[in-house]
Amino acid sequence: MAELLLTSSYQIAGRDFDKGGEISTEVKVLLQKLEIDPRLIRRAVVVIFEAEMNIVMYADEATITFELTDEDIGIVIDDRGPGIPDLELAMQEGWSTATDEMREMGFGLGMGLPNIKRNSDVFDIRSTVGEGTVVTSRIFLDDHG
Amino acid sequence: MAEYEHGFAIDADVCDGCLACMRACPTNAIRVKYGTASVLAELCIDCGSCLTACPHGAITAQTVRLDDFRDFSFRVAIPSPVLFGQFPPDVRPDQVVHGLLAAGFDAVWDYSIELGLISRATVDCIRHWHGQKPLISNMCPVIVELLQVSYPRMLDQLLPIVLPRQIAARQIKQSFSRELGLPPEEIAAIYVTPCQAKTISILRPAGGGRGFVDGAVGIAQMYNTVLAEAQEAAKSGRQTYGWSPVRSAGILRWATPRPLAGRIGRDRYLSVTGLPDVIKVFDDIEKGRLRGIDYLECRACWGGCTHGNLTVDNVYVAAAKLENLISDLPEFDDGGQAEVERRYRREDLTPAQKPEPRPAVHGGDLRERVRRVKDAARIRERLPGLDCGLCGAPSCDVLAEDIAGERGALTDCVFISPQRIEELRHLHHRED
Ligand SMILES: Nc1ncnc2c1ncn2[C@@H]1O[C@H](COP(=O)(O)OP(=O)(O)OP(=O)(O)O)[C@@H](O)[C@H]1O
Ligand SMILES: [Mg+2]
Repeated sequence: MAELLLTSSYQIAGRDFDKGGEISTEVKVLLQKLEIDPRLIRRAVVVIFEAEMNIVMYADEATITFELTDEDIGIVIDDRGPGIPDLELAMQEGWSTATDEMREMGFGLGMGLPNIKRNSDVFDIRSTVGEGTVVTSRIFLDDHG
Repeated sequence: MAEYEHGFAIDADVCDGCLACMRACPTNAIRVKYGTASVLAELCIDCGSCLTACPHGAITAQTVRLDDFRDFSFRVAIPSPVLFGQFPPDVRPDQVVHGLLAAGFDAVWDYSIELGLISRATVDCIRHWHGQKPLISNMCPVIVELLQVSYPRMLDQLLPIVLPRQIAARQIKQSFSRELGLPPEEIAAIYVTPCQAKTISILRPAGGGRGFVDGAVGIAQMYNTVLAEAQEAAKSGRQTYGWSPVRSAGILRWATPRPLAGRIGRDRYLSVTGLPDVIKVFDDIEKGRLRGIDYLECRACWGGCTHGNLTVDNVYVAAAKLENLISDLPEFDDGGQAEVERRYRREDLTPAQKPEPRPAVHGGDLRERVRRVKDAARIRERLPGLDCGLCGAPSCDVLAEDIAGERGALTDCVFISPQRIEELRHLHHRED
């Protein structure tokens, strides 16, 4: 059984584009202080950033939970929002329901969820239409930790 | 020259502990204890912000003079293209070359070939790059150090091509030793630099080891002599030198923040100057927020290398002069381009060493590190959060980390320890 060493959680309001990216920066600073392997930090930052952007683009609000165990980094993004009707479709690269405005800002390429999956060692997504979506990502630590 | 560990030195006798440098440092590398500033070597990126901020002249940059190379039999200048944009409009680049020779160099290298070679190699590298994007220019040594210290995750994106001044120096040693029958180590390849940071990086390259360049002399240090000689030549209308060191616009662009303008797609080429802006863009890259960019040019100095701390003109005047020189020149120089192609096929341009991440600041195993972070968070709650700096650390956050890492004490905080305020009163006492 992995031992939980540290945990922190963050609230994020949906549909507030300006706030997007703040939590990934906070977690980055935390991981840097923990002197985690730079490559793992980068992966964690991408996971949180993409998830955060999905919240500010599509959901109402969310809780992001970060945890560090002696084996891995865990990230859970639990939102209240419209949910995703077809998960298989949403996971496809290039599939997006982003608005023109989002696309103008460089988003809406349909790369977020695939990127989260690619940067995770364990990935899970569940969604209930009308309620919300839960994305779980785990990134294994290496020998250095 | 191992004593030049940071390139900048704080004179403890002159420093009065005023905190200006500590507040200016972009990597939180400075602490002020017992009325004197000191630098944490592992965090310093040699940017020189502290030197600029110090009101007392207590911080000095290591300087090198041409005279320091007197033990060499033959001294060759590698002039940064920034140099040619520093003179009045009536002084031509070939007259500047004349000025450099009069100032004491034995030869001035035609650096345009190596710059062309690196432009060529960079464009090729960008085209074939399959790694994470964007590739990041390695021209500015402060940026390379910033990556090592604060963005080690992005070091793989650093342009994997040797610096032009290094191949120029290699070539200089080779051709002059053949021509003059001297051993290569008796020939000095000396960079004429717009900034301190390049001097430091030449003596202490980020990738370790030692390059081919023997040292650097600041533009500002040579300026008066070179100007006087060049103007003399300009006045007499004398034909000074057989060749001009700048024969194409492409070469002079190396003095601007967009040296590859026109050679890679405009919308995929980003140029950022000034450390605060570079840091913002690096944060965006890290999150994956910067999309569709192939190549990122960044310079620590705002406005680019023409604003280096060893230049003489203000950045706007220098940019205008460069623009003026560039507009008079053809885009390519055919003879030079042929030589570039010939050497491109023949030469190995991969760097000998790759800059590594700077070792962790505190270290220890994972549990130990977690303990420290938790301790720091707990300690932070007891601090006022005003970031007054009177403890000698730049912020309450940093003090909390210092305490958790056994590099500071809770009693450093003036809110917690009345003794500390007494100590400061004593240190900074002024007569009425
Ligand atoms: N938290 C969420 N709540 C509701 N719908 C979501 C959520 N996250 C993703 N989606 C839906 O899934 C689609 C694909 O998401 P993904 O992150 O892969 O791409 P994108 O956000 O459209 O574009 P990009 O991430 O490249 O900017 C989105 O367009 C959206 O319809
Ligand atoms: Mg997305």
